[in-house]
Amino acid sequence: MGTVKIPIGPQHPALKEPESFLISLDGERIKDVGMRLGYNHRGVEKAAEGRTYIQNIYLIERVCGICSHSHSTAFIQAVEEVAGVEIPKRAKYIRSIVGELERVHSHLLWLGVAGHEVGFDTLLMYSWRDREVVMELLAAIGGNRVNYAMNTFGGARRDLDKDMLERILKAVDVLEDRTKYYINIATKETTLIKRLSGVGYISKDDVIKLGTVGPTGRASGISRDARKDDPYAAYGEVDFNVITDTHCDVYGRAVVRLLELMETYKIIRQLIKNIPDGDIAVRFPRRVPAGEATSRYEAPRGEDVHYVKGNGTDKPERVKLRAPTLANLMSVAKMLEDDNLADVPIAIAAIDPCFSCTDRMIKLEHSSGNSEIVTWGDLRKRSIDFYRTQHGIDFSELNKKYRGNL
Amino acid sequence: MTELNKENAIKDKVTSKFSFMNEKVLVKRERRVYADVELSNFRQVFDYIVKDLEFCRICMITGFDEGENFGFMYHLTDDKGMIFDLKTYAPKTNPVIKTITDTFPGGVLYERELVDMFGVKVDGLPEGERYPLPDGWPEGQYPLRKDWNRDMLKD
Amino acid sequence: MMMQLFYILIFPGFLFLYLMSFILEYEDRIIYARLQNRKGPPLFQPLADFIKLLAKEDIVPECADKKIFKLMPMIALTAVVTSFFYIPIWGVNSLYPFKGDLIVVLYLLTIPTVTFFLAGWSSTSLYSTIGAVRTLTQLFSYEVLLFLSVLSPAMLADSWSLGDMASFYNERPAMMLFNIVAFGMSLVAMLGKLEKVPFDIAEAETEIVGGTFTEYSGRLFAFFRMAINMEMVVGASLIAAVFLPFGLTLDPVYGFMLYIVKVFFVIFFLSVGRTVFARLRIDQMVSVCWKYFAPIAFAQIVLILIVKGVVL
Repeated sequence: MGTVKIPIGPQHPALKEPESFLISLDGERIKDVGMRLGYNHRGVEKAAEGRTYIQNIYLIERVCGICSHSHSTAFIQAVEEVAGVEIPKRAKYIRSIVGELERVHSHLLWLGVAGHEVGFDTLLMYSWRDREVVMELLAAIGGNRVNYAMNTFGGARRDLDKDMLERILKAVDVLEDRTKYYINIATKETTLIKRLSGVGYISKDDVIKLGTVGPTGRASGISRDARKDDPYAAYGEVDFNVITDTHCDVYGRAVVRLLELMETYKIIRQLIKNIPDGDIAVRFPRRVPAGEATSRYEAPRGEDVHYVKGNGTDKPERVKLRAPTLANLMSVAKMLEDDNLADVPIAIAAIDPCFSCTDRMIKLEHSSGNSEIVTWGDLRKRSIDFYRTQHGIDFSELNKKYRGNL
Repeated sequence: MTELNKENAIKDKVTSKFSFMNEKVLVKRERRVYADVELSNFRQVFDYIVKDLEFCRICMITGFDEGENFGFMYHLTDDKGMIFDLKTYAPKTNPVIKTITDTFPGGVLYERELVDMFGVKVDGLPEGERYPLPDGWPEGQYPLRKDWNRDMLKD
Repeated sequence: MMMQLFYILIFPGFLFLYLMSFILEYEDRIIYARLQNRKGPPLFQPLADFIKLLAKEDIVPECADKKIFKLMPMIALTAVVTSFFYIPIWGVNSLYPFKGDLIVVLYLLTIPTVTFFLAGWSSTSLYSTIGAVRTLTQLFSYEVLLFLSVLSPAMLADSWSLGDMASFYNERPAMMLFNIVAFGMSLVAMLGKLEKVPFDIAEAETEIVGGTFTEYSGRLFAFFRMAINMEMVVGASLIAAVFLPFGLTLDPVYGFMLYIVKVFFVIFFLSVGRTVFARLRIDQMVSVCWKYFAPIAFAQIVLILIVKGVVL
């Protein structure tokens, strides 16, 4: 068999989001990797320029489902810096607590996906079950499982009362227990280790050259963590370690994420213990003065960088954001060199890619320009019309017949 | 307020090395240094910051549409959490900048973004798939230019 | 004549195998689910899946070899059903026993794997082709193991006939203890044969979409699935007949009930196996099978030779 080109994506069971990798294979061995990105661009940066700051919080929060809090915090920090507003300490703690809970949820999610990619569905089922603990907690805090909308300019939107803090502590105990179990599995289960170690190798030098961030970079031995290097929110006041590893492979990335979870529990406990009383938000001007700021946030997947430029109005002049996946994607091609085809899914998954974060630029609105609200009934009608005009199938009779039952 | 010693040290190094950088380097706050540089001098300042001051990673490149000019801000960081925002300009009539992928191979995607979104030419950018716009995107449409709006996509 | 037809079509032939395959699929899925902390499917789910697939459209790829593509599911099914007639179920003897039926069963069970290969290859899709190649590569690693592990009880009983082996062990049940390692190895080989985790390399969903079966849909896919499920029944029955040949001289009713228990027992092991492991890579599977499992199976045969020299 000569060289075969296998497309992984844009639609492929290994990828949860559309992104395309063209793998050239010699037998089972990878010769070359081609990448095509940008299937999911939504035009967030352009859209942000046309919206007010307040509207932008909700826009930016929807850049990514998993790290919604990360993006909104990074953006808000930048805007607050431009406006020169110092937020109350309690708000900083609340931001950090929610951010850390989000990290727990993201890392457990990753663990399950990693398990699935190597055909270990049991791990997926277990870790996603335990992830429900933190998901429910986040739902109780913010009213939503993702997009908690905890942030606003000048502070936090909701307070965490005493009962809630107690509840978080209890959940953290459960989660810590489960995480220990997963660390045990990851370091002892033979087939899992066999599938993870040596896969997706990337050396420390390459990591530095390619600008790899987050757990992927830390698994190759570089100790970079925006929480430590560039403390924001309440991270300057907590004591924690930056977890690094020298395996440089997927196994290392798994270990880093799992051990990071343990640090996260430590951080949450400290934050809850030390959380000061007081206001959760200060008044924030509607117009933000001219100025610019760059803000970093250590999202679960790596470092989010946001840049905001204000021009004195209520709309930003320029918003630029970079999700960690974009920084990490360049390293994927390097990682896959000389690996097996079977390693592709897990090597890609190991950077914990979030392509919707990465792609964020083109508008999906109707080309006529008017956005409209489509009701459920409209949607039904449209689909019935579609089938009648395009395929000559008329559902309207059936529709009338069953409408009563709906 | 902290003393900003480290930040000022960086500022001093840059201004003493390049006389034309006087008044152009700003310490904005703790761990944030900003500098403005003309396109013709950009590369030497950039190389000095990257190699001698050890800002060994590029976070992103932000493009600006500033009327007459395009602005490009290179967000560089070092291992200690410092961010150096180095900004340069290119005229809209001839928007050509040099690639930095020789120093940062990982910067390819950020530069491709500039190409697609602003219609900037990047000299020395390796061949490859475009990013982030789709293949069928019409020529001459650059979404992040200020004069662009979605109605222009109609035809 | 009528009796023969009844045997072949109804019991213990096709219909029984058909029902049994659904029951065992259900058992496999429910154990897998319970071990993963899930609820699992309802009892009729496998049957419902089958009927649903039957009702779906058959899509044959443009450039596929259409004859082979359509024929392969049937051949796989036929081979599996045929092999079932030679396995003793409630008595010492199978439906059509003869000297050397063990070898025939093993070979008949190889046919489905070959049809998987041909099916994948003829559908010409990239993913299928890779899956097909993997199927064959896999075959070479577990097939030897299966043959070796079945060889040891046969050698001890001094016969290639399942019936003779059964009566041999029925008289001396303790002898079976010498074959425990071979039993374990045969379970491993069966996981490979049924392409279950950790050996579901040929249809690794996250790598090559559906592997061999990527292009299959509707009825043809339903038959392939049925063939695999029936292969699971036959494989489990074979392991039960070879390694757990107890109580075969009982009353047929008890014998049959015992058979069900044995098959459930074997499937339980297979389900646990697929719960606790991650999928291996093809190179890892080949090396594990040849480096560790095959030598173990050989050691088992040496043990049997010694036992034969000393005890018998």
